[in-house]
Amino acid sequence: MFDQILFILSAVLTMGGALAVVFSRNLMHACVFLLACLFGVAGLYATLNADFLAATQLVVYAGGVVILMLFAVMLTGGVQSTVNKFGLEKIPGMGNTKTYTAAGLSVIIISFVLFKILKNAVAIAPKGQMVYESTVEKIGTLLVSDHVLAFELSSILLLGALVGAAVIARPRHIKDDV
Amino acid sequence: MITLPSYLFISFMLFACGLAVMMARKNIVAILLGIELILNSAALNFAAYTKFINQNLDGHIMSLFIIVIAAAEAAVGLAIVIRFYQIKESIHIDDATQLQS
Repeated sequence: MFDQILFILSAVLTMGGALAVVFSRNLMHACVFLLACLFGVAGLYATLNADFLAATQLVVYAGGVVILMLFAVMLTGGVQSTVNKFGLEKIPGMGNTKTYTAAGLSVIIISFVLFKILKNAVAIAPKGQMVYESTVEKIGTLLVSDHVLAFELSSILLLGALVGAAVIARPRHIKDDV
Repeated sequence: MITLPSYLFISFMLFACGLAVMMARKNIVAILLGIELILNSAALNFAAYTKFINQNLDGHIMSLFIIVIAAAEAAVGLAIVIRFYQIKESIHIDDATQLQS
């Protein structure tokens, strides 16, 4: 019963947030709706008995990525960017009717393809339920035994991403710029 | 009763919304938002299949790596967006036509 209430709340939060990201005209509002959507996904992880994944989702996404997105929106001139530097009217940054029509058509086409592919996968009958137990200890053991190569590679990837981001985004002198 | 297809439907909705955002928006930061939605749908699928079909924890490990890679991708992507804005004074995707200014 509690699981079902949590599932319904999380599903509504996730899908409503995702639809609001698509249809909101303001980029700051879209970032905040993405935050709601990620909270909903964390709730869905909780209903799937994935407690460690839910905590990681909250810490990494809600604490890191969305704040980074908001900073990027504010550092790149806020929400109004419809006019370029030559003063000419261009397609507004949040899209117009033509781009939304093209996106809707391609989403419909890809939906049909995915339904064709996934119809067999959905038809598999579910096995018995897993009883709840904490997954943190098992995930920690698996990370340093079976998946240790991927673990070390991801640490190298994170180091490279940090150094690369710092190098790319650092301010430069005027004479270095073209 | 909550079954596997309900999770798959939610994940499919997330994927469709992310695809629509990526194709309809002309703002580079908004396109990065769409990429985040798509990565979340993939991670949710891994966790759902772990509970209902496979029942060992390899799917959780894979979701964890997806979250790590999404964080790295967001950091590098937003750094590129900020650098692009310093050079071109625009974050319109149609202005990104050159690799080297």
